[in-house]
Amino acid sequence: MEDLESLFQPGQVSTREETRIAYSRDASRIQGECQTVVWPDSTDDVARLVRWAVETGIDLVPRGAGTGLCGGATPQNSVVVDSAHLRHLGPVDIQTKQIVVDAGIPLDHLNRTLHSEGLFLPVIPGSHRSATVGGMIATNAAGLHAIRYGRMNDWVEEAVVVDGKGDVHRLSFNESKYVVGREGLTGMIVQAKLRLAEIPRNRSLTLLRFEHLEDMLNQIRSLKTNPSLSALEYLNPQAAVVVGWAAKHTLLAEYQSGDGEIMDLVEMATLWKTRESLSARLTHAGFPISEDPQIQPETQESILDWLTVQGIPVFGHLGVGILHPRFLLADPRIIDLYHRVITAGGQISGEHGMGLKKRQWASEALKSDIVALKTQFDPHRVFNRGKLC
Amino acid sequence: MLIDLNENPTCTECGLCREVCPVFQIQQREEYSPRGRAMLDSAGIQTLVFYQCTLCRTCRIVCPVGHDPSGETLRSGLIAVGEETPANQVMIANIRQYGNPFGPLAEGEIPKTLTCC
Ligand SMILES: Cc1cc2nc3c(=O)[nH]c(=O)nc-3n(C[C@H](O)[C@H](O)[C@H](O)COP(=O)(O)OP(=O)(O)OC[C@H]3O[C@@H](n4cnc5c(N)ncnc54)[C@H](O)[C@@H]3O)c2cc1C
Ligand code: SF4
Ligand code: SF4
Repeated sequence: MEDLESLFQPGQVSTREETRIAYSRDASRIQGECQTVVWPDSTDDVARLVRWAVETGIDLVPRGAGTGLCGGATPQNSVVVDSAHLRHLGPVDIQTKQIVVDAGIPLDHLNRTLHSEGLFLPVIPGSHRSATVGGMIATNAAGLHAIRYGRMNDWVEEAVVVDGKGDVHRLSFNESKYVVGREGLTGMIVQAKLRLAEIPRNRSLTLLRFEHLEDMLNQIRSLKTNPSLSALEYLNPQAAVVVGWAAKHTLLAEYQSGDGEIMDLVEMATLWKTRESLSARLTHAGFPISEDPQIQPETQESILDWLTVQGIPVFGHLGVGILHPRFLLADPRIIDLYHRVITAGGQISGEHGMGLKKRQWASEALKSDIVALKTQFDPHRVFNRGKLC
Repeated sequence: MLIDLNENPTCTECGLCREVCPVFQIQQREEYSPRGRAMLDSAGIQTLVFYQCTLCRTCRIVCPVGHDPSGETLRSGLIAVGEETPANQVMIANIRQYGNPFGPLAEGEIPKTLTCC
């Protein structure tokens, strides 16, 4: 068996203690064990690493920015494959509104580069400063503007992936289902051709506050009829107070028109910054467990009512039914929530993925789907072993 | 929770500060990111990684909870246990012996090397 260091350039492999600690978990803080970190510079590097993994039986954990909230990038005595060196941006095709990018590009970096062309990748998770294109594809990220732009699967025209046999696939839009939302179980994404949207000319915001949940949900029905609505973010009273807002059911509605009350760019930026700070602030306030159920409109009232009565802070992308209730450590009500969501016909993971955190909650249908994909793309269980199967 | 969750009293480990850190931009390794430093600190590690920080505090500006995983405190911990970079040791020795950080200098001579931490 060849030594891993001998397969790569100096500086592409690290086993030192500092590295292993820093890569031992993602933003979920679910603790694992990192054996080694490798920084591939190319598709060939990834393929070589996979062949080494097949030979040695050691598993690989692809990692982007490690902002995932379910332990998806947490290793279990594995080799972590960091995409940080895969940061090449191809030229923008203005005609087709597409760009080829490496998987390790952080979203904000990509969108800053595209700004002068009047284009952007409109899937914006709250972690947009750091989250990488590869991580966003692997989790099929949704986010703040999902109500208008959907999620990553709508924007991946083509994906280049190295599978668990070391073979390289160029997956078309229709084949991208083998990798989008598969949490790195079918292979490592190295490159993608992305569809882009035009930066909206107008934007405005309205902050709405409600005493009663029922009134708010009624109002949402009419807000959703406005075709320029581009975000509909919710904070329950317990979450609103954490950012210094009144203890009310609060909606932040963004429009790509002048329909909102606030048009001042600085004021809008401040409101968004406050909203985006919520996740970390709630962790800091003692609610580190972030859930992400997706619930149909008909059952939102009963679940939101239960969460609020329980005193659980909740925020989320209510426009698409994705909520982020935040729990204390070891809170037994998390399991209660899962049961309520499943009974209501919702999904316990709306956007973060299953990772290590929810693997035992995977449905039989999902498990058999994954087993079939593993047989096809990763028969040796090289990638993200122990997650989902 | 269902799984072993690591406690970090100061940093939520959200990772939002990675890209603004100039040292991370160059090193592109998590241990050099502000989050990585906070993780090493919470693991009780004394490491020369802490010297690789420009003290620019950009991480604190973007941090939603205002955490400051930057240099002074972490370096003070290193000094307390006698951990220094070789360059720092040379600089301090020069100051002690020659009254300047450059080493022996003739009258009017321009220093050729600058050692720094
Ligand atoms: C403050 C905060 C706000 C967030 N807001 C949102 C939100 O609004 N919407 C949302 O959807 N998510 C959100 N998230 C979760 C997270 O940011 C997303 O899941 C994001 O897409 C992860 O990207 P990453 O680069 O950090 O991936 P990582 O965390 O590094 O990895 C996530 C998963 O993808 C896999 N993976 C990573 N890179 C690759 C690759 N190149 N090839 C194959 N597999 C890969 C990993 O193995 C892991 O399973 C938030 C997280 C935080 C901390
Ligand atoms: S203060 Fe140090 S850790 Fe923070 S951004 Fe600047 S260089 Fe990075
Ligand atoms: S220092 Fe702040 S921004 Fe950086 S990971 Fe920690 S909590 Fe997040």
